[in-house]
Amino acid sequence: MFLRNSWYVAASGHEAGRKPLRRVILGEPVVLFRTEDGTPVALEDRCAHRHLPLSMGKLIGDTLQCHYHGLRYDRTGACVRVPGQDLIPPSARVRSYPLVERYRWLWIWMGDPALADPGRITDYHWLDDPSWGAASEYLHVKANWQLIVDNLLDLTHLAFVHETTIGNSALVEHASVKVQRAHDNVAVTRWIIDQPPPPTFVKVGGFTGNVDRWQIIDFVPPAFLRLDVGATPTGTGAPEGHRVGGISMRNLNAITPETETTSHYFWGQAHDFDIHNPHTTEKVVAQIRTAFLEDVAVFEAQQVNLDLVPNPPQTDINADTGVIQARRILDRLHQEEAAAAPRVAAE
Amino acid sequence: MTTWHRVASASDLRDDEGFPVDVDGAAIALYRINGAIHAIDDVCTHEFAVLSQGFVQAGTIECPLHAAQFDIATGECLSGPAAQDLRTYPVRQEGDDIYVGVPEA
Repeated sequence: MFLRNSWYVAASGHEAGRKPLRRVILGEPVVLFRTEDGTPVALEDRCAHRHLPLSMGKLIGDTLQCHYHGLRYDRTGACVRVPGQDLIPPSARVRSYPLVERYRWLWIWMGDPALADPGRITDYHWLDDPSWGAASEYLHVKANWQLIVDNLLDLTHLAFVHETTIGNSALVEHASVKVQRAHDNVAVTRWIIDQPPPPTFVKVGGFTGNVDRWQIIDFVPPAFLRLDVGATPTGTGAPEGHRVGGISMRNLNAITPETETTSHYFWGQAHDFDIHNPHTTEKVVAQIRTAFLEDVAVFEAQQVNLDLVPNPPQTDINADTGVIQARRILDRLHQEEAAAAPRVAAE
Repeated sequence: MTTWHRVASASDLRDDEGFPVDVDGAAIALYRINGAIHAIDDVCTHEFAVLSQGFVQAGTIECPLHAAQFDIATGECLSGPAAQDLRTYPVRQEGDDIYVGVPEA
């Protein structure tokens, strides 16, 4: 089940160019490319004639030519040339999708184009804000998108899945988690006071003693998770909002469903220390990458079991509070979208 | 016969959240509603969930997992999926010390 009336990240800006890029999004084939002036374009990746992916073709100027019979489509999806005939059938058209380039990502709208307001794009400014160092990456995941959302709203797994990377045992034993919710938002906040910093933080923050550490997860439906994490030397006032002498990072996640059982996982990491040093950015990203690959192994193994037995009974534990609140928002939005969709007339 | 246990300091409590305490192995939560302190069972009567980690709103506690709602003052179950009420316990405050009264077995 997908929420269609939302912006999703279709690709990193650098992925789209003069070579057509195919990407399946919400179960629909999409082709991404740039016109000669650099404008990004998203079209249905299926020729109106015989269904070949247009991404197998090539760009002729600002038109995309199908590899099979040479039909050409302009940036609006209208066919502008049919080889061997002068007249173009009005049905020779593929869908075009609203597409916006922002925060170094290309954002696509798969729902009703009339509702595609770029003002509704979730804020990821840390990825191109000059006061932060940042880089972003892409992972293809063979698992349903909601398994990834669940994971990013859940702090408890850090101590287990990521024991050697971003987790440590202080997380479970010395932390208090608070879940706050609003109409279309869930925030999960964890403070770990006066505990040793995890290995990652020691490497980048140079801490010598205990720290006060925060993890604040901000969920925006359908699948945007922005994590504010950091630490300051213990007792310096971070819990009261006074962050000095420490480090802060944003872990920025945007998940785009590919199919019901596969996902595009766009993520970035921004850091507020040593911001002009690409080696630091790479180091920070590398550590998160290692952790996320540990997560991906979990998602894909979960999906294998869910493929064998769909919707098995499951036990909820208190650590699931954030996950459950988010799922409730998603359930409500699915219902609202289904209710607003035009009904198919009964024959 | 009721045994009184000192379980918390009044300064531990906040208006918008439950405060879990352990009384001889029993999970009880304290809440302060309009200045009055209440003590009720801290495990949901539906499935196992710690209620004090849920959401306090207008004198009720909503289970963090499956959204059952209980009246904090009376323990009454106000909406499903739970059906059974929560037990309530008498509370006494002496200075900053809060005592909960538990019936002796």
